[in-house]
Amino acid sequence: MPHLVLDPHLILDKVSVHYDGQAAPAVERVSIDVAKGDFVVLVGRSGCGKTSLLNVAAGLVEPVRGNARIGGTPITDPGPDRAVVFQNDALFPWLTARENVAFALRLRGVPQAERARRADELLALVKLGGAGDKRIWELSGGMRQRGGLARALAAEPEFLLLDEPLGALDALTRERMQTTLLDLWTAAQVGVLMVTHGIEEALVLATRIVVLAPGPGRVVRTFETGFSRRYASGEPIRGIKADPAFAAARGELTDAIFEGEAA
Amino acid sequence: MSVTSYSERPATGTDESDAISVPWSRPARKRRAVSSRVVSAVTILVVLAAWALSARLQLVSPVFLPSPAAVWTKFIVVINDGFVDATLLQHIIASLGRVFAALLAAIVIGVPVGLAIGISTVGRGIFDPLLEFLRPIPPLAYLPLVIIWFGIGEPSKILVIAIAMLAPVALSTASGVRGVSRERINAARSLGATRAQVVRHVILPSALPSILTGLRIALGAGWSTLVAAELVAATRGLGFMIQSAAQFLVTDVVVMGILVIATIAFVLEFIIRRIERQLVPWAGRE
Repeated sequence: MPHLVLDPHLILDKVSVHYDGQAAPAVERVSIDVAKGDFVVLVGRSGCGKTSLLNVAAGLVEPVRGNARIGGTPITDPGPDRAVVFQNDALFPWLTARENVAFALRLRGVPQAERARRADELLALVKLGGAGDKRIWELSGGMRQRGGLARALAAEPEFLLLDEPLGALDALTRERMQTTLLDLWTAAQVGVLMVTHGIEEALVLATRIVVLAPGPGRVVRTFETGFSRRYASGEPIRGIKADPAFAAARGELTDAIFEGEAA
Repeated sequence: MSVTSYSERPATGTDESDAISVPWSRPARKRRAVSSRVVSAVTILVVLAAWALSARLQLVSPVFLPSPAAVWTKFIVVINDGFVDATLLQHIIASLGRVFAALLAAIVIGVPVGLAIGISTVGRGIFDPLLEFLRPIPPLAYLPLVIIWFGIGEPSKILVIAIAMLAPVALSTASGVRGVSRERINAARSLGATRAQVVRHVILPSALPSILTGLRIALGAGWSTLVAAELVAATRGLGFMIQSAAQFLVTDVVVMGILVIATIAFVLEFIIRRIERQLVPWAGRE
Protein backbone atom coordinates (compact mmCIF):
# COMPACT_ATOMS: atom_id res chain seq x y z
CA MET A 1 0.00 0.00 0.00
CA PRO A 2 1.98 2.99 -1.23
CA HIS A 3 -0.04 5.59 0.66
CA LEU A 4 1.31 4.13 3.91
CA VAL A 5 4.80 5.09 2.86
CA LEU A 6 3.78 8.61 1.93
CA ASP A 7 1.79 9.10 5.11
CA PRO A 8 3.21 6.64 7.60
CA HIS A 9 1.36 5.67 10.73
CA LEU A 10 3.03 4.82 14.01
CA ILE A 11 1.24 1.70 15.10
CA LEU A 12 1.38 -0.28 18.32
CA ASP A 13 -0.32 -3.56 17.52
CA LYS A 14 -1.58 -5.63 20.48
CA VAL A 15 1.58 -4.84 22.36
CA SER A 16 2.41 -6.64 25.61
CA VAL A 17 5.38 -5.65 27.73
CA HIS A 18 6.68 -7.91 30.46
CA TYR A 19 9.84 -6.91 32.31
CA ASP A 20 12.24 -9.60 33.50
CA GLY A 21 11.76 -10.57 37.10
CA GLN A 22 8.26 -9.12 37.40
CA ALA A 23 5.26 -11.29 38.13
CA ALA A 24 2.69 -9.39 36.07
CA PRO A 25 3.07 -7.87 32.63
CA ALA A 26 3.40 -4.08 32.61
CA VAL A 27 1.24 -3.76 29.49
CA GLU A 28 -1.17 -6.25 27.95
CA ARG A 29 -2.46 -6.16 24.39
CA VAL A 30 -2.56 -2.44 23.82
CA SER A 31 -3.09 -1.09 20.32
CA ILE A 32 -2.56 2.53 19.40
CA ASP A 33 -2.50 4.15 15.97
CA VAL A 34 -0.87 7.53 15.52
CA ALA A 35 -1.16 9.21 12.13
CA LYS A 36 0.93 12.16 11.08
CA GLY A 37 -0.86 15.24 12.36
CA ASP A 38 -2.34 13.34 15.32
CA PHE A 39 -1.60 14.36 18.87
CA VAL A 40 -2.21 11.25 20.93
CA VAL A 41 -1.90 11.58 24.70
CA LEU A 42 -1.61 8.63 27.07
CA VAL A 43 -2.99 9.23 30.56
CA GLY A 44 -3.60 6.97 33.51
CA ARG A 45 -2.65 6.24 37.07
CA SER A 46 0.88 5.24 38.05
CA GLY A 47 1.85 1.80 36.84
CA CYS A 48 -0.51 1.73 33.88
CA GLY A 49 2.37 1.30 31.45
CA LYS A 50 2.26 4.70 29.72
CA THR A 51 6.01 5.08 29.60
CA SER A 52 6.49 1.42 28.63
CA LEU A 53 4.28 1.98 25.59
CA LEU A 54 6.18 5.11 24.64
CA ASN A 55 9.47 3.22 24.97
CA VAL A 56 8.14 0.47 22.71
CA ALA A 57 7.32 3.10 20.11
CA ALA A 58 10.79 4.58 20.60
CA GLY A 59 12.42 1.19 20.11
CA LEU A 60 13.94 1.26 23.58
CA VAL A 61 11.80 -1.59 24.96
CA GLU A 62 10.98 -4.76 23.09
CA PRO A 63 7.43 -6.07 23.49
CA VAL A 64 7.02 -9.74 24.46
CA ARG A 65 4.00 -10.02 22.18
CA GLY A 66 2.60 -7.83 19.47
CA ASN A 67 4.73 -5.32 17.64
CA ALA A 68 5.31 -1.70 16.84
CA ARG A 69 5.51 -0.53 13.24
CA ILE A 70 6.16 2.70 11.46
CA GLY A 71 4.93 2.95 7.90
CA GLY A 72 4.62 -0.85 7.92
CA THR A 73 8.24 -1.43 8.98
CA PRO A 74 8.72 -3.10 12.36
CA ILE A 75 10.41 -0.96 15.01
CA THR A 76 13.44 -2.72 16.47
CA ASP A 77 15.75 0.15 17.39
CA PRO A 78 15.56 3.82 18.24
CA GLY A 79 15.70 6.03 15.17
CA PRO A 80 15.58 9.68 14.18
CA ASP A 81 12.16 9.20 12.58
CA ARG A 82 10.84 9.01 16.18
CA ALA A 83 12.72 11.59 18.27
CA VAL A 84 12.14 11.33 22.01
CA VAL A 85 11.96 14.17 24.54
CA PHE A 86 12.16 13.13 28.18
CA GLN A 87 10.94 14.71 31.39
CA ASN A 88 14.38 15.53 32.65
CA ASP A 89 16.13 17.22 29.84
CA ALA A 90 18.64 14.93 28.26
CA LEU A 91 20.66 17.77 26.78
CA PHE A 92 24.43 17.66 27.09
CA PRO A 93 25.74 20.09 29.71
CA TRP A 94 29.19 20.25 28.11
CA LEU A 95 27.72 21.84 24.98
CA THR A 96 25.90 25.12 24.42
CA ALA A 97 22.26 25.13 23.40
CA ARG A 98 23.29 25.66 19.77
CA GLU A 99 25.85 22.84 19.87
CA ASN A 100 23.25 20.49 21.33
CA VAL A 101 20.98 21.09 18.39
CA ALA A 102 23.91 20.93 15.99
CA PHE A 103 24.80 17.51 17.43
CA ALA A 104 21.47 16.16 16.19
CA LEU A 105 22.04 17.80 12.79
CA ARG A 106 25.48 16.23 12.60
CA LEU A 107 24.03 12.77 13.27
CA ARG A 108 21.68 13.38 10.38
CA GLY A 109 24.59 14.22 8.13
CA VAL A 110 23.97 17.95 7.74
CA PRO A 111 27.22 19.53 6.49
CA GLN A 112 29.13 21.45 9.12
CA ALA A 113 28.79 24.79 7.36
CA GLU A 114 25.01 24.63 7.59
CA ARG A 115 24.69 23.33 11.13
CA ALA A 116 25.01 26.57 13.10
CA ARG A 117 22.55 28.42 10.89
CA ARG A 118 20.02 25.58 10.95
CA ALA A 119 20.46 25.20 14.74
CA ASP A 120 19.72 28.89 15.23
CA GLU A 121 16.58 28.55 13.13
CA LEU A 122 15.38 25.68 15.28
CA LEU A 123 16.20 27.54 18.49
CA ALA A 124 14.24 30.52 17.21
CA LEU A 125 11.34 28.19 16.40
CA VAL A 126 11.13 27.09 20.05
CA LYS A 127 11.53 30.76 21.15
CA LEU A 128 15.07 30.21 22.40
CA GLY A 129 16.64 32.42 19.76
CA GLY A 130 18.86 34.49 22.04
CA ALA A 131 20.15 31.59 24.11
CA GLY A 132 22.25 29.76 21.52
CA ASP A 133 25.54 30.48 23.26
CA LYS A 134 24.28 29.59 26.71
CA ARG A 135 25.42 26.45 28.47
CA ILE A 136 22.63 24.09 29.43
CA TRP A 137 23.10 24.64 33.14
CA GLU A 138 22.58 28.35 32.62
CA LEU A 139 19.05 27.72 31.30
CA SER A 140 15.85 27.47 33.31
CA GLY A 141 13.80 24.26 33.33
CA GLY A 142 11.40 25.56 30.70
CA MET A 143 14.23 26.76 28.45
CA ARG A 144 15.89 23.36 28.71
CA GLN A 145 12.73 21.62 27.55
CA ARG A 146 12.54 24.08 24.65
CA GLY A 147 16.13 23.14 23.83
CA GLY A 148 15.22 19.46 24.02
CA LEU A 149 12.36 20.05 21.58
CA ALA A 150 14.62 21.95 19.21
CA ARG A 151 17.14 19.11 19.27
CA ALA A 152 14.42 16.53 18.67
CA LEU A 153 13.09 18.55 15.73
CA ALA A 154 16.61 18.77 14.32
CA ALA A 155 16.35 15.05 13.59
CA GLU A 156 13.44 15.93 11.28
CA PRO A 157 11.30 13.21 12.81
CA GLU A 158 7.97 11.99 11.48
CA PHE A 159 6.85 11.49 15.04
CA LEU A 160 7.69 13.12 18.34
CA LEU A 161 7.58 10.91 21.41
CA LEU A 162 7.19 13.01 24.54
CA ASP A 163 7.66 11.37 27.95
CA GLU A 164 6.13 13.81 30.43
CA PRO A 165 8.11 16.64 28.86
CA LEU A 166 6.47 19.27 31.06
CA GLY A 167 6.35 17.15 34.20
CA ALA A 168 9.23 18.85 35.99
CA LEU A 169 8.13 22.41 35.25
CA ASP A 170 6.26 24.84 37.50
CA ALA A 171 2.58 25.41 36.75
CA LEU A 172 2.99 28.74 34.95
CA THR A 173 5.87 27.62 32.75
CA ARG A 174 3.94 24.46 32.01
CA GLU A 175 0.94 26.45 30.79
CA ARG A 176 3.11 28.47 28.43
CA MET A 177 4.93 25.36 27.17
CA GLN A 178 1.61 23.73 26.28
CA THR A 179 0.92 26.34 23.63
CA THR A 180 4.52 26.10 22.45
CA LEU A 181 4.02 22.36 21.98
CA LEU A 182 0.86 22.99 19.97
CA ASP A 183 2.60 25.62 17.84
CA LEU A 184 5.44 23.21 17.10
CA TRP A 185 3.09 20.36 16.35
CA THR A 186 1.29 22.54 13.83
CA ALA A 187 4.47 23.98 12.31
CA ALA A 188 6.46 20.74 12.08
CA GLN A 189 3.61 18.63 10.72
CA VAL A 190 4.52 15.69 12.93
CA GLY A 191 2.51 13.08 14.75
CA VAL A 192 2.89 13.21 18.51
CA LEU A 193 2.64 10.45 21.09
CA MET A 194 2.85 11.90 24.57
CA VAL A 195 2.66 10.66 28.14
CA THR A 196 1.38 12.98 30.85
CA HIS A 197 -0.06 13.06 34.34
CA GLY A 198 -1.93 16.27 33.71
CA ILE A 199 -5.63 15.91 32.96
CA GLU A 200 -6.04 19.48 31.75
CA GLU A 201 -2.81 19.18 29.81
CA ALA A 202 -4.15 16.13 28.00
CA LEU A 203 -7.33 17.98 27.06
CA VAL A 204 -5.49 21.07 25.83
CA LEU A 205 -3.00 19.15 23.71
CA ALA A 206 -4.63 16.01 22.41
CA THR A 207 -6.58 15.15 19.34
CA ARG A 208 -7.06 11.78 20.98
CA ILE A 209 -6.70 10.76 24.61
CA VAL A 210 -6.03 7.13 25.47
CA VAL A 211 -6.91 6.32 29.09
CA LEU A 212 -4.96 3.42 30.54
CA ALA A 213 -5.52 1.50 33.74
CA PRO A 214 -2.91 -0.43 35.70
CA GLY A 215 -2.52 -4.08 36.64
CA PRO A 216 -1.74 -4.98 33.84
CA GLY A 217 -1.63 -1.81 31.74
CA ARG A 218 -4.55 -1.75 29.33
CA VAL A 219 -6.74 0.72 27.47
CA VAL A 220 -9.98 1.51 29.28
CA ARG A 221 -11.27 4.35 27.10
CA THR A 222 -10.36 6.49 24.16
CA PHE A 223 -11.56 10.07 23.73
CA GLU A 224 -11.48 12.03 20.51
CA THR A 225 -11.05 15.66 21.49
CA GLY A 226 -11.04 18.85 19.45
CA PHE A 227 -9.64 21.53 21.75
CA SER A 228 -6.12 21.48 20.30
CA ARG A 229 -7.44 21.80 16.76
CA ARG A 230 -9.50 24.78 17.88
CA TYR A 231 -6.29 26.37 19.19
CA ALA A 232 -4.51 25.51 15.96
CA SER A 233 -7.23 27.26 13.97
CA GLY A 234 -6.71 30.47 15.91
CA GLU A 235 -8.94 30.37 18.99
CA PRO A 236 -7.23 31.74 22.13
CA ILE A 237 -6.29 29.09 24.67
CA ARG A 238 -7.99 30.84 27.59
CA GLY A 239 -11.26 30.99 25.73
CA ILE A 240 -11.04 27.27 25.05
CA LYS A 241 -10.36 26.47 28.69
CA ALA A 242 -13.29 28.66 29.77
CA ASP A 243 -15.66 26.79 27.45
CA PRO A 244 -18.20 24.74 29.45
CA ALA A 245 -17.48 21.87 27.07
CA PHE A 246 -13.89 21.88 28.33
CA ALA A 247 -15.04 21.54 31.94
CA ALA A 248 -17.43 18.76 30.97
CA ALA A 249 -14.72 16.86 29.10
CA ARG A 250 -12.44 17.32 32.06
CA GLY A 251 -15.01 15.73 34.40
CA GLU A 252 -15.57 12.85 32.02
CA LEU A 253 -11.85 12.23 31.58
CA THR A 254 -11.23 12.35 35.35
CA ASP A 255 -14.02 9.81 35.87
CA ALA A 256 -12.52 7.53 33.24
CA ILE A 257 -9.06 7.68 34.83
CA PHE A 258 -10.29 6.89 38.33
CA GLU A 259 -12.96 4.45 37.22
CA GLY A 260 -13.12 1.40 39.45
CA GLU A 261 -11.11 3.12 42.13
CA ALA A 262 -12.71 4.12 45.45
CA ALA A 263 -13.23 7.88 45.36
CA MET B 1 3.96 18.11 66.44
CA SER B 2 0.47 18.24 67.85
CA VAL B 3 -2.25 20.47 66.46
CA THR B 4 -2.36 22.59 69.63
CA SER B 5 1.17 23.80 69.21
CA TYR B 6 0.22 24.98 65.72
CA SER B 7 -2.75 27.01 66.96
CA GLU B 8 -0.64 28.56 69.71
CA ARG B 9 1.78 30.09 67.22
CA PRO B 10 1.66 33.88 67.07
CA ALA B 11 -0.50 35.05 64.21
CA THR B 12 1.84 37.81 63.02
CA GLY B 13 5.01 36.05 61.90
CA THR B 14 6.25 38.85 59.67
CA ASP B 15 9.27 39.42 61.88
CA GLU B 16 12.32 37.75 60.36
CA SER B 17 13.21 35.76 63.47
CA ASP B 18 9.65 34.48 63.80
CA ALA B 19 9.31 33.56 60.15
CA ILE B 20 10.41 30.00 60.72
CA SER B 21 9.05 28.86 64.03
CA VAL B 22 9.42 25.11 63.65
CA PRO B 23 10.69 23.66 66.89
CA TRP B 24 14.01 22.49 65.45
CA SER B 25 15.08 25.82 64.01
CA ARG B 26 17.34 27.62 66.44
CA PRO B 27 17.68 31.40 66.33
CA ALA B 28 20.78 32.50 64.48
CA ARG B 29 23.79 33.02 66.72
CA LYS B 30 25.03 36.57 66.99
CA ARG B 31 28.61 35.43 67.56
CA ARG B 32 30.44 34.86 64.29
CA ALA B 33 31.62 31.29 63.83
CA VAL B 34 35.38 30.79 63.48
CA SER B 35 36.22 29.60 59.98
CA SER B 36 37.93 26.24 59.68
CA ARG B 37 40.74 27.86 57.70
CA VAL B 38 41.69 29.98 60.70
CA VAL B 39 41.67 26.88 62.90
CA SER B 40 43.89 25.09 60.36
CA ALA B 41 46.34 27.98 60.21
CA VAL B 42 46.53 28.12 64.01
CA THR B 43 47.07 24.35 64.18
CA ILE B 44 49.98 24.55 61.74
CA LEU B 45 51.53 27.45 63.65
CA VAL B 46 51.19 25.57 66.94
CA VAL B 47 52.88 22.47 65.49
CA LEU B 48 55.71 24.61 64.05
CA ALA B 49 56.12 26.42 67.37
CA ALA B 50 56.23 23.14 69.30
CA TRP B 51 58.79 21.84 66.82
CA ALA B 52 60.96 24.98 67.12
CA LEU B 53 60.65 25.01 70.90
CA SER B 54 61.63 21.37 71.37
CA ALA B 55 64.63 21.91 69.10
CA ARG B 56 65.65 25.09 70.93
CA LEU B 57 65.37 23.42 74.34
CA GLN B 58 67.33 20.45 72.95
CA LEU B 59 64.59 18.07 74.16
CA VAL B 60 65.65 15.65 71.45
CA SER B 61 68.99 15.33 69.71
CA PRO B 62 69.24 17.23 66.37
CA VAL B 63 70.04 13.86 64.78
CA PHE B 64 66.46 12.86 65.48
CA LEU B 65 64.76 16.22 65.11
CA PRO B 66 66.65 19.09 63.48
CA SER B 67 65.35 22.60 64.13
CA PRO B 68 63.09 24.34 61.60
CA ALA B 69 65.88 26.81 60.94
CA ALA B 70 68.30 23.98 60.13
CA VAL B 71 65.80 22.42 57.74
CA TRP B 72 65.25 25.78 56.05
CA THR B 73 68.99 26.34 55.70
CA LYS B 74 69.35 22.87 54.22
CA PHE B 75 66.50 23.62 51.84
CA ILE B 76 68.41 26.64 50.50
CA VAL B 77 71.67 24.70 50.34
CA VAL B 78 70.13 21.78 48.42
CA ILE B 79 68.43 24.20 46.01
CA ASN B 80 71.78 25.84 45.23
CA ASP B 81 74.40 23.14 45.68
CA GLY B 82 72.35 19.98 45.54
CA PHE B 83 72.46 16.73 47.49
CA VAL B 84 73.84 13.41 46.20
CA ASP B 85 74.92 14.93 42.88
CA ALA B 86 71.69 16.69 41.97
CA THR B 87 70.01 19.94 42.93
CA LEU B 88 66.60 19.92 44.55
CA LEU B 89 65.02 21.03 41.29
CA GLN B 90 66.60 18.10 39.45
CA HIS B 91 65.29 15.70 42.11
CA ILE B 92 61.83 17.21 41.83
CA ILE B 93 61.87 17.06 38.03
CA ALA B 94 62.97 13.41 38.08
CA SER B 95 60.18 12.49 40.48
CA LEU B 96 57.50 14.53 38.71
CA GLY B 97 58.60 13.04 35.38
CA ARG B 98 58.11 9.51 36.71
CA VAL B 99 54.76 10.30 38.28
CA PHE B 100 53.41 11.97 35.15
CA ALA B 101 54.69 9.21 32.89
CA ALA B 102 52.91 6.77 35.18
CA LEU B 103 49.77 8.91 35.13
CA LEU B 104 49.82 8.89 31.35
CA ALA B 105 50.12 5.10 31.33
CA ALA B 106 47.34 4.81 33.92
CA ILE B 107 45.06 6.98 31.78
CA VAL B 108 45.83 5.11 28.57
CA ILE B 109 45.07 1.78 30.23
CA GLY B 110 42.71 2.75 33.04
CA VAL B 111 40.14 4.82 31.14
CA PRO B 112 39.40 2.14 28.49
CA VAL B 113 39.33 -0.53 31.23
CA GLY B 114 36.92 1.61 33.24
CA LEU B 115 34.77 2.11 30.14
CA ALA B 116 34.70 -1.64 29.56
CA ILE B 117 33.69 -2.27 33.18
CA GLY B 118 30.99 0.38 33.05
CA ILE B 119 29.55 -0.52 29.66
CA SER B 120 29.66 -4.28 29.32
CA THR B 121 29.00 -7.09 31.75
CA VAL B 122 31.75 -9.13 30.11
CA GLY B 123 34.23 -6.30 30.62
CA ARG B 124 33.13 -6.02 34.19
CA GLY B 125 33.53 -9.75 34.68
CA ILE B 126 37.06 -9.65 33.32
CA PHE B 127 38.51 -6.52 34.90
CA ASP B 128 36.67 -6.15 38.20
CA PRO B 129 38.36 -9.09 39.98
CA LEU B 130 41.78 -8.15 38.55
CA LEU B 131 41.50 -4.60 39.84
CA GLU B 132 40.15 -5.71 43.20
CA PHE B 133 43.14 -8.04 43.46
CA LEU B 134 45.61 -5.32 42.54
CA ARG B 135 44.13 -2.49 44.55
CA PRO B 136 44.96 -3.47 48.16
CA ILE B 137 48.55 -4.67 47.48
CA PRO B 138 51.11 -2.20 48.86
CA PRO B 139 53.74 -1.08 46.31
CA LEU B 140 56.59 -2.45 48.39
CA ALA B 141 55.05 -5.90 48.01
CA TYR B 142 55.04 -5.98 44.23
CA LEU B 143 58.24 -3.98 43.83
CA PRO B 144 60.50 -7.11 43.98
CA LEU B 145 58.45 -8.84 41.31
CA VAL B 146 58.54 -5.78 39.05
CA ILE B 147 62.33 -5.67 39.42
CA ILE B 148 62.67 -9.40 38.65
CA TRP B 149 60.52 -9.01 35.55
CA PHE B 150 61.55 -5.62 34.23
CA GLY B 151 64.94 -4.94 35.79
CA ILE B 152 66.05 -1.90 37.71
CA GLY B 153 65.70 0.69 34.96
CA GLU B 154 63.39 3.64 34.63
CA PRO B 155 60.44 1.58 33.25
CA SER B 156 60.24 -0.41 36.50
CA LYS B 157 60.00 2.75 38.59
CA ILE B 158 57.27 4.13 36.38
CA LEU B 159 55.45 0.80 36.41
CA VAL B 160 55.40 0.65 40.22
CA ILE B 161 53.75 4.07 40.33
CA ALA B 162 51.42 3.26 37.43
CA ILE B 163 50.15 0.11 39.15
CA ALA B 164 49.19 2.17 42.16
CA MET B 165 47.36 4.63 39.90
CA LEU B 166 45.54 2.13 37.71
CA ALA B 167 42.76 1.13 40.08
CA PRO B 168 41.64 4.65 41.04
CA VAL B 169 41.56 5.73 37.38
CA ALA B 170 39.70 2.64 36.16
CA LEU B 171 37.23 2.43 39.03
CA SER B 172 36.37 6.15 38.92
CA THR B 173 35.86 5.91 35.17
CA ALA B 174 33.62 2.88 35.63
CA SER B 175 31.51 4.57 38.29
CA GLY B 176 31.21 7.65 36.09
CA VAL B 177 30.09 5.53 33.15
CA ARG B 178 27.55 3.68 35.27
CA GLY B 179 26.20 6.99 36.51
CA VAL B 180 25.37 8.35 33.04
CA SER B 181 21.68 9.13 32.91
CA ARG B 182 19.68 6.57 30.95
CA GLU B 183 17.62 9.36 29.44
CA ARG B 184 20.68 11.10 28.07
CA ILE B 185 21.78 7.92 26.31
CA ASN B 186 18.30 7.11 25.04
CA ALA B 187 17.82 10.64 23.74
CA ALA B 188 21.05 10.37 21.75
CA ARG B 189 20.07 6.95 20.41
CA SER B 190 16.67 8.25 19.36
CA LEU B 191 18.44 10.99 17.42
CA GLY B 192 20.18 8.26 15.46
CA ALA B 193 23.50 7.94 17.30
CA THR B 194 25.30 4.65 16.82
CA ARG B 195 26.71 2.72 19.76
CA ALA B 196 30.20 4.11 19.11
CA GLN B 197 28.83 7.65 18.84
CA VAL B 198 26.98 7.23 22.13
CA VAL B 199 30.22 6.17 23.83
CA ARG B 200 32.27 8.97 22.26
CA HIS B 201 29.77 11.82 22.48
CA VAL B 202 27.59 10.95 25.47
CA ILE B 203 29.17 8.46 27.85
CA LEU B 204 32.75 9.77 27.86
CA PRO B 205 31.88 13.45 28.39
CA SER B 206 29.26 12.49 30.98
CA ALA B 207 31.86 10.48 32.88
CA LEU B 208 34.51 13.19 32.61
CA PRO B 209 33.90 14.74 36.06
CA SER B 210 34.27 11.30 37.61
CA ILE B 211 37.36 10.52 35.52
CA LEU B 212 39.01 13.74 36.67
CA THR B 213 38.26 12.87 40.28
CA GLY B 214 39.92 9.53 39.60
CA LEU B 215 43.00 11.28 38.22
CA ARG B 216 43.20 13.41 41.33
CA ILE B 217 43.05 10.36 43.59
CA ALA B 218 45.52 8.52 41.34
CA LEU B 219 47.99 11.38 41.45
CA GLY B 220 47.86 11.29 45.23
CA ALA B 221 48.28 7.52 45.29
CA GLY B 222 51.15 7.61 42.77
CA TRP B 223 52.94 10.42 44.55
CA SER B 224 52.79 8.49 47.82
CA THR B 225 54.43 5.43 46.23
CA LEU B 226 57.31 7.60 45.03
CA VAL B 227 59.73 6.58 47.76
CA ALA B 228 59.07 2.90 47.14
CA ALA B 229 59.55 3.34 43.40
CA GLU B 230 62.86 5.11 43.89
CA LEU B 231 64.16 2.53 46.37
CA VAL B 232 66.23 0.71 43.79
CA ALA B 233 68.95 2.02 41.54
CA ALA B 234 67.73 5.57 41.25
CA THR B 235 70.25 8.38 40.97
CA ARG B 236 67.75 11.19 41.19
CA GLY B 237 64.35 11.86 42.68
CA LEU B 238 62.85 13.06 45.94
CA GLY B 239 62.35 9.52 47.25
CA PHE B 240 65.94 8.64 46.39
CA MET B 241 67.15 11.84 48.06
CA ILE B 242 65.33 11.00 51.31
CA GLN B 243 66.67 7.45 51.36
CA SER B 244 70.24 8.53 50.72
CA ALA B 245 69.96 11.14 53.43
CA ALA B 246 68.55 8.56 55.85
CA GLN B 247 71.51 6.23 55.21
CA PHE B 248 73.94 8.99 56.22
CA LEU B 249 71.66 10.15 59.06
CA VAL B 250 71.29 13.60 57.45
CA THR B 251 67.96 14.08 59.17
CA ASP B 252 67.46 17.68 58.08
CA VAL B 253 67.43 16.59 54.44
CA VAL B 254 64.96 13.81 55.29
CA VAL B 255 62.59 16.26 56.96
CA MET B 256 63.07 18.79 54.17
CA GLY B 257 62.34 16.10 51.57
CA ILE B 258 59.16 15.08 53.36
CA LEU B 259 57.98 18.69 53.46
CA VAL B 260 58.78 19.16 49.76
CA ILE B 261 56.84 16.00 48.86
CA ALA B 262 53.87 17.18 50.92
CA THR B 263 53.98 20.66 49.42
CA ILE B 264 54.11 19.35 45.86
CA ALA B 265 51.19 16.99 46.58
CA PHE B 266 49.23 19.96 47.87
CA VAL B 267 50.04 22.06 44.81
CA LEU B 268 49.14 19.21 42.41
CA GLU B 269 45.79 18.75 44.16
CA PHE B 270 45.15 22.48 43.86
CA ILE B 271 46.05 22.52 40.15
CA ILE B 272 43.82 19.54 39.35
CA ARG B 273 40.91 21.14 41.16
CA ARG B 274 41.40 24.25 39.03
CA ILE B 275 41.50 22.11 35.90
CA GLU B 276 38.32 20.36 37.00
CA ARG B 277 36.53 23.67 37.39
CA GLN B 278 37.74 24.76 33.96
CA LEU B 279 36.99 21.52 32.16
CA VAL B 280 33.73 20.39 33.75
CA PRO B 281 32.01 23.55 35.00
CA TRP B 282 28.66 21.76 34.87
CA ALA B 283 29.60 19.15 37.50
CA GLY B 284 27.26 19.55 40.45
CA ARG B 285 25.17 22.13 38.64
CA GLU B 286 22.89 19.95 36.55
